[in-house]
Amino acid sequence: MELLFLGILVLLMITALVSGFPVAFSLPGSSIIAIGLAALAGWIFADNPDAYFHEGGPVQWLSAGVTNFRSLYWNVERDTLIAIPLFIFMGIMLQRSKVAEDLLVTMAQLFGPVPGGLGISVVIVGALLAATTGIVGATVIAMGMISLPAMLRNKYSHSLATGTICASGTLGQIIPPSIVLIILADQLSSAADQASAMRKAAYREITGEFSMPSVLDITSASAGDMFMGAFIPGILLVILYILYILFTAILRPKMAPPVGYSGSYDRQFLVKVLMSLLPPLSLIFVVLGSILLGVATVNQAGAVGAVGAMLMAGYRLHHSDVRRYWPAFIAIFSVIALGFLVANFDLNIKSIHTDEDRLGVTLGVIASATLLIAITWSGWRVFKTGTILHEVMGETAKTTSMVFIILIGAAMLTSAFRAFGGEELVKHMLTSLPGGFWMQFFVVMLIIFILGFFLDFIEIAVVVVPIVAPILLADPSANITAVWLGVMIGLNIQTSFLTPPFGFALFYLRGVADQVVKTVSIYKGVVPFIGLQILALVITGFFPSLVNYLPNRTYLTSDSAPPPMNPRIQPCLEQQVLSLYASQEASLLAAIDTMAALDTSYMSSAATKMLQNSLGKARETFVKVDDIYQAKAQLTDFEQSYEPLHQQVRETQLNVRRNKGLIEDAQLELRRLDDIELNDNRRTDLFERIDALEEFNTRLEASIPASWATQRPIFEQLNKAEKQSRNDYRRNVDEAYEGIQELRLWISQAAELAQAQADVAALVSSIDQLSADEAMDAIKLQEQNLSELAGVNSIKSKLSKARRALKGSKYNPEKAKGYHSEAMNLLTAEIQWRQRAFMDMAPELSSYNLAIKDSIGLRQQERMSIELATTISACMSSHKDISLQF
Amino acid sequence: MSVVLTMQQLSSSLSSSSALLKQDLLLRSFAFTVVYTTVIFVLNNFLNFWALWPGAINILAGKTSTEPFLGWLQVFSYVAAPMLAMMHVSRLRYESYENLADRVSHWAATCIKAAFWMVLLVGMIDMLVSFLRIESLLAPIVGDDITMELGKPQFRGAYVHLPLMLLACVIALRSKGLGFIWLTLLVVVAEFLIVITRFVFSYEQAFMGDLVRFWYAALFLFASAHTLLIEGHIRVDVAYTHFKDRTKSWVNVFGVILLGLPLCFTILTLGMWDKTSSINSPLLSVEVSQSGYGMYVKYIMVGFLAIFAFSMIIQFSSYLLKHFGVLRGETQTPPITSATNP
Repeated sequence: MELLFLGILVLLMITALVSGFPVAFSLPGSSIIAIGLAALAGWIFADNPDAYFHEGGPVQWLSAGVTNFRSLYWNVERDTLIAIPLFIFMGIMLQRSKVAEDLLVTMAQLFGPVPGGLGISVVIVGALLAATTGIVGATVIAMGMISLPAMLRNKYSHSLATGTICASGTLGQIIPPSIVLIILADQLSSAADQASAMRKAAYREITGEFSMPSVLDITSASAGDMFMGAFIPGILLVILYILYILFTAILRPKMAPPVGYSGSYDRQFLVKVLMSLLPPLSLIFVVLGSILLGVATVNQAGAVGAVGAMLMAGYRLHHSDVRRYWPAFIAIFSVIALGFLVANFDLNIKSIHTDEDRLGVTLGVIASATLLIAITWSGWRVFKTGTILHEVMGETAKTTSMVFIILIGAAMLTSAFRAFGGEELVKHMLTSLPGGFWMQFFVVMLIIFILGFFLDFIEIAVVVVPIVAPILLADPSANITAVWLGVMIGLNIQTSFLTPPFGFALFYLRGVADQVVKTVSIYKGVVPFIGLQILALVITGFFPSLVNYLPNRTYLTSDSAPPPMNPRIQPCLEQQVLSLYASQEASLLAAIDTMAALDTSYMSSAATKMLQNSLGKARETFVKVDDIYQAKAQLTDFEQSYEPLHQQVRETQLNVRRNKGLIEDAQLELRRLDDIELNDNRRTDLFERIDALEEFNTRLEASIPASWATQRPIFEQLNKAEKQSRNDYRRNVDEAYEGIQELRLWISQAAELAQAQADVAALVSSIDQLSADEAMDAIKLQEQNLSELAGVNSIKSKLSKARRALKGSKYNPEKAKGYHSEAMNLLTAEIQWRQRAFMDMAPELSSYNLAIKDSIGLRQQERMSIELATTISACMSSHKDISLQF
Repeated sequence: MSVVLTMQQLSSSLSSSSALLKQDLLLRSFAFTVVYTTVIFVLNNFLNFWALWPGAINILAGKTSTEPFLGWLQVFSYVAAPMLAMMHVSRLRYESYENLADRVSHWAATCIKAAFWMVLLVGMIDMLVSFLRIESLLAPIVGDDITMELGKPQFRGAYVHLPLMLLACVIALRSKGLGFIWLTLLVVVAEFLIVITRFVFSYEQAFMGDLVRFWYAALFLFASAHTLLIEGHIRVDVAYTHFKDRTKSWVNVFGVILLGLPLCFTILTLGMWDKTSSINSPLLSVEVSQSGYGMYVKYIMVGFLAIFAFSMIIQFSSYLLKHFGVLRGETQTPPITSATNP
């Protein structure tokens, strides 16, 4: 019954949307009506308002919707959305300060003489504007008003000209910073959480183990990740556009003739080019750079961008006079000064200790104040220039509200969709598609593409993504990252701006284009670009590294990078290290041999044992590595024959589980049915249904091949053996390296130990002269001092024995002195060998450390080197099939 | 502008200048009743949970109460809403639909303006208090006792936020402009200050992020009513652009009644049903963020949702009046009666 109301919900939604009532209220409004109708019907026909809901009742689902509204701004986890008004502010400010116009004119002059030059300049300007403003409407209108007439005058084909403008205008959707990407990141991070929970549940059910290894977990996406992930595909798209225009211009010069520039390319022209290019470029550099380098959060970068835009507007809108560039120059100067101060002083305002700190902070305050004054000055100019500031603020408020109220509305829709079991239904439909993940993915992408003809990007992102993303992300056979999914959806949604009849870019261009341009030629013009878009989608689909590499690399090279020990990066780390062993086995063994040949006779027995043990483990590494290879080879061999069986059985089991769910549903309905004759037919139906399902299940279970019972344990065993071999290897190298490090520590502390000697020796007089308690305190103090040094446990224990000999009724100073002198003997011996080793062995140890720290010692390093991080990011960027683990 | 008036236009403008037709009275009263009922609902919500009146629902459900008189007064207030609306409408009978729509829209704008000044003042002062408190500068200024008290949400709500809110209402009534659009600039500035303090002085505290979140939430929720007024909420206009004006008005009237208003009513009623509802409960308990040293405004942020729903209901009523006007064939020309307006 709930499916009927799900249908009603979808129908209501479509009616409301098509009628043209604002989307932000159509989505929640139709959800509320549907929930209300279901409650009413339930109350009338089943005497229970909850009857026609998948689970729960009307009030509960509506309340969930209202609580969802609140969570949009109330939860810290969704702070990423704050970037949206900031970037909108930045974009509109730049639009009003006519950056686009300057860029278009100079770029057209620069590229004009090249075949297709005007078109290429439009693409490049589109990309540059996308990286600053990212507002489709503004970009398309500016280009439609400035570039289109120029292109038409120079006999460009109408369709090529309009297509180029529309497509370039939409680049703002995929080239960061982009609003869509932020919204997608917001939706995907909760989808990734859900998917992770689903995967964990599946893992628990199948393996019986309680916690899933983090290697198998899903990679989530933040707004910063999305920006980085979309960066390369965005550039790919720009390159495709340019190539297309270039080839068209070369093959059919009539469509895009070169345009001569009447002026000369002299110094004045160069200055003009620089003046129009540099400010937006530097803004892009600051905003995107800080995000890509992982320095600032997306919100902070947004604020910097908004302020930067205001600075630019401050001189662009100002009438020309001497002081025109003053605020901009002052701001640049203060930023440089701040950079210098941060690099050379400790400006932490909470820890001002020295005069130098004080000087630094004072200068920092002055530089910041100057910066703020320059910004305020620019802001004041904008405020005084007509109503520009008001227009920018008003437009920003309007756009922000438009976006967010849709987000709110979609929250209610998601709630209603769940209320009627829509989520289950979609999941059911998707997972029962033949062809596994890629079929599901294709269908979802196709649906998004088709929806793009009618809906805007926000609606698609907020309605479709929460429903399908968890299912796609949870699939272990593709094991895609959330970033990749987000960028693929982003690239796909971008076409919604281009696809008639409801393509935003087309509307905007139609609005400003000359009447000579027919609407049909606009439609015709975008077709090849939609094709290019799909091509980019396919390329990105086949090479997920294009998306995943940058976020991984930024993460692994950032300050908060995980240490090489981190379990999540082990598979890639080992892949790298195993290849290293293959090439360096001889030199590593030689290093171990050199180390073993050293004279260790003077060392303490503990140290000798440690060294020997460590070297033994180091030698054993190669055995362990071979073990891994062997286990892996066995597993891979077996997997080839086992994989089809695994998939077949898992699918059968999935069907069985699903049928069991259906049986439970039917049984529930049976129990709920009133015991009246009216319901007899239904009851018979249900009984028949249950019987049929049960029989079907029996057949399904019987269809599981007999080999499963034998093959599965073999697989489990091999899989376990492989894991075990890796664990053995890890433990082995850890021990091998820890021993050496410990020994190096001991030796390096020879001098400190020697310093402690006098203090420890003085304890004799303490025992003699001081009261028991005071003497005990004195000994305790020395124990504490010693405990800061390594490898002195035996000495410490003698000292504490001495101390205990002074305690209470057992007070016995002679016994204490006995222990003390034992401690002194140990200490002297220890100092002796350590001092000698410090001279003889320390250099050898360090060169040994150097030899093994990138292989055997790799796991124990605090940080990865940049090269290693790069290799590992590349390795982690491809998607790996982990379906056999489930 | 054409000088020639058709007979129909003439008669319609005449009718609106003299007396209202029955249909006009009904339509106008409907829109006003929506506003009145909402105001009375919110007022009753305050009486129920802050002044501890029995509540209309409880009285009607037959629950015994110590103050049955007050309860019946509350029941009566809902009956009075349409009557008051009708009286108001008949007082304004010489106004055109468009003027009425403007008037109602002005109410929404004033309400939003007051809300803007509230978040502006409360945001700045509370941030200052939080800053002084976390840096232990508060005690030297106001003394230990008040510092202690200011650490309690209840006290800060009653003695810092409430007076500021009252002040905000006064300013709102006396100031011009929209107000809320400045929140865009405030969000930029607040976030930029975080950038400076974090990257230059390595100083970052919870209250700074709280302030950004506070203003940003206010921004998009408060802006919604005005966005509706200037047709900023996007539509799927595949069909809509080709509709005639009257058809568009039909769409909007149905949309408001079936989709828009139910959403706002759902937010208000579910958020304010009882003590534990999602809007009432944080407000009653003066809920603040867990971090302890952030701003004490989380409970006000939940109130934003109520302000959003409230302002949207008023704006929707104005929108209804405007489109009723189109459907009733009111001309777009300024009404003849505006000069003789009582």
